[in-house]
Amino acid sequence: MGYIIHLIILCLLFAINAMSLNLLIGYTGLLFAASAAFAGIGAYTTVFLLKSTELGFFPAVIISMLVASVMATLLGLVLNKFRDDYFALVSVGFQVIVSTVFMYWVGFTRGPLGIPGIARPTLLGLDFSSNIMFLILVAIIASVVYLFIKFLIGSPFGRVLKAIRDNEEAIKVFGYNTYFFKLTILSLAAMLCALAGALYASYITYISPPVFYLFESILLISIVTFGGLGSLKGPVIGAVIMVLLPEALRFVGFPPEVAAQMRQAVFGLALILLMLYRPQGLVGEYKL
Amino acid sequence: MEIFVQLLLNGLIAGSLYSLLAIGFNLFYGTVKFFDLAFGTIALVGSYATLSFLKNLDLPLLISVMGGILVGAVLNVIIYKLVYVPIRARKGSNMVLLVTSLGVFTILQSLLAILFSSQFQTLRSAGYVPHIFHIYGASVTSVQVLMIALAVLVPIVMHFILKRTKFGRAVRAIGDNEEVASIVGINTSKVIGGVFFISAALSGLAGIMNGLDRGIEPYMGLALLLKGIIAAIVGGIGYLWGGVLGGFVLGLIENFGTWYLPSEWKDAIAFVVLIIFLIFRPRGILSK
Amino acid sequence: MKAIVWLIVIVVVIWAGWALLDKAPEAEAGPIMIGFIGPLTGDAAAYGEPERDVVALAVEEINAAGGINGRQISVIYEDGKCDGTASASAAQKLVNVDKVQAIIGGFCSSESLAAVPIAAAGKVFLFSPGSSSPDLTGINQFFARNYPSDASQGRVMADVLYAKGMRNVAFIQESKDYPLGIFKAFQARFAELGGEVVKEEFPTDSTDFRTSLTKLKAGKPDALFVDAQTPAAADRILQQVQELGWKTQILLNDAASDPALITKYAKLLEGAMFAEFGYDATNSKFAALATAYKAKYATDLPWQSYSQTYYDSVYILAEGIKAVGYEGEKLATWVRTVKDWPGASGNVSIGSDGDVVGGHSARVIMDGKATPLGQ
Repeated sequence: MGYIIHLIILCLLFAINAMSLNLLIGYTGLLFAASAAFAGIGAYTTVFLLKSTELGFFPAVIISMLVASVMATLLGLVLNKFRDDYFALVSVGFQVIVSTVFMYWVGFTRGPLGIPGIARPTLLGLDFSSNIMFLILVAIIASVVYLFIKFLIGSPFGRVLKAIRDNEEAIKVFGYNTYFFKLTILSLAAMLCALAGALYASYITYISPPVFYLFESILLISIVTFGGLGSLKGPVIGAVIMVLLPEALRFVGFPPEVAAQMRQAVFGLALILLMLYRPQGLVGEYKL
Repeated sequence: MEIFVQLLLNGLIAGSLYSLLAIGFNLFYGTVKFFDLAFGTIALVGSYATLSFLKNLDLPLLISVMGGILVGAVLNVIIYKLVYVPIRARKGSNMVLLVTSLGVFTILQSLLAILFSSQFQTLRSAGYVPHIFHIYGASVTSVQVLMIALAVLVPIVMHFILKRTKFGRAVRAIGDNEEVASIVGINTSKVIGGVFFISAALSGLAGIMNGLDRGIEPYMGLALLLKGIIAAIVGGIGYLWGGVLGGFVLGLIENFGTWYLPSEWKDAIAFVVLIIFLIFRPRGILSK
Repeated sequence: MKAIVWLIVIVVVIWAGWALLDKAPEAEAGPIMIGFIGPLTGDAAAYGEPERDVVALAVEEINAAGGINGRQISVIYEDGKCDGTASASAAQKLVNVDKVQAIIGGFCSSESLAAVPIAAAGKVFLFSPGSSSPDLTGINQFFARNYPSDASQGRVMADVLYAKGMRNVAFIQESKDYPLGIFKAFQARFAELGGEVVKEEFPTDSTDFRTSLTKLKAGKPDALFVDAQTPAAADRILQQVQELGWKTQILLNDAASDPALITKYAKLLEGAMFAEFGYDATNSKFAALATAYKAKYATDLPWQSYSQTYYDSVYILAEGIKAVGYEGEKLATWVRTVKDWPGASGNVSIGSDGDVVGGHSARVIMDGKATPLGQ
């Protein structure tokens, strides 16, 4: 039973990350490969604040989200000069550079030693050390994120995003400052990734640089594309499948080493089939 | 003096790998204009095939190498026919092709890890120690000299193919404008199949040489691809000699750079170089 | 609105499920469930899997002899993957779901470091037969280990080198906790004695060390310390040292003291030194372990310095349970009273900081074999 709670928490955390990435890829058409880097920024900043100041978890998370937002804006100034493939490539560059910083800025992150003993959040006397309480907390946060994104997409702001995705030149002609919109959505998505990262750190109580590497960013892109771009439920479904698939494979009897690889292989195959026959993903509305 | 020569050699050795990768990448990208994320992993398919021929079938080195290159190239053509042809037929966008290649990359990588284990393996037969040459006190092995030589010879051969053969002219025509090329009667599908074949052969060669010099493991595909892309962009994307130049420039910058900076920042340096070029000279050094 | 409904549904389902399915704590007469965390997949599985087998062997022997106070021991094996995150998940499961009172593990220091806070919060005794990071010394009252800290390895090497007249040592170190721990211990002691250390780090999976080595070589150090996480990485480095034609005093950490590696580079490593937590083949328990292992698993006992401690850890734990009962807090306190307990790894004493007393001794490689370094 406790194990099921563990799985649901992981699903929700990945769902938050996936939803934020969907904002970029599915709604704005920006293929972004640095979500793990921002999750890491959120995680490390939160943990740093928790360990060296008197701040509680939630104030620390909010500050780290702001830090992520600032960094995303700075990144966006460079990134927004590019389109499509090149946008993705520069975001990869940012991801790798940030990963290297995580590993070697030892004063801040303790490098390969990682940071153990991260505290669970407390809020107004409520302690979230037990997994059940943590699950409720994450479920509430995930729902809020979901509702927020739903509201955003339905708003005029969201319509501009979709227009950028479909034909950026066209709406520029209408006088929309697409540069500003892209910067804003990048910043927002980065904040959500940071939030997911901070929650992850608090849940596992241990972080180290490899958790936030390029590999994880690419995995997230796969999930979001698979689940369905440009839909609200798509990233959630993708996240659930990604977390549960290796468990299912373990049941079927694959030895653990092979199970992890099989998950990747199945995902790869599914992606190929999807792109061939259903490029909008399982429940998506946007065909790449 | 000895140190300078050694650094120069190190840069050339690393650069030769990047050049060979960039040549294959440029050929591919220059013709079909999308990033194939599986490019690096196809190189590994060839390398692991060579490994099997060497260790399991006990075939002589040269036969194993040629066999490995062939396996990789043929596989790439099969993938082209099965996956990319249908998507291109219905005018799939670059993003679809990119994500599809992500699926191919994922599935190939996991299959390699399952079949050959994630352990690092060398292509050298046990006990083989390459001959070491000394130049001004610096050292370089016979394998490395061969790599550098290939990085010069291969583009010469490719240059001849592209400029003097019918196939090469067709490739260039498709690169300029695919629609027009097919209108004037070029069998674009067949020619592009040939491009997939040759670029996989080139990257396979690069992977095998690297395997002989250092070794291979299933997860290096992405790193190989990224270095190839950076080299291609720095030198002039889509142009044969651009790739060669870019590869050597990148290798030299990396090695002289890590002389002054701690060597753990090597990968970050490569991406900083990439981003600088993308901002200030996106067409590369040798652009028109 | 819909999302709120979803949320309520989720909460209700979980609550109901928890109430219905949550098992009662283990009945007093059932088997004693012990946890195990170690690398069962990944590169370090080369260590983790044999050590799991050693633990299984020890448990089998104890059960065959009647178990502990009539109860049989049963082990829940979890995969730590030599990674803090995986180990934290494994610890969470063992502590919160399986509700064990003791865990044997981790192997890699990253596994132990991540598991310690979780075990402590759950008042579970964490006993590591393999983690050597100096950071684990005295880290928590719920942690102890019967494998020595690398502070000992670094210190021994520093003393030996200084005594040999070396003042300037170059390190090539992998960016992981075990190599970093050895580096820090060595540097601290060597600097204390008056020597100097320079290092170049590299991320795991690096294949090109040429320029790092060139940089170190240019500093004309008295020795080169190859400080990698795995024998495979050390192999890659040594190959390039050889190809660069660099002839110097080489030092290794105990991970690189793999016999196959030493044989492969016998010429290059002639005279190379390293420190290890050795084993005594004449120790009767050790000999019995080696025989039993070969009989059960049809292969020679690997990684002797770890296998002996893994074997001992099960027996030490069993003795503790007999003495104070199966309760994490009591076991953690009891283990610190262990003095001169006769084990396969020699006479074991655990100090108040949770560390085992004793440590590494220096070896030199001659003719492709490691032999003790005579003073």
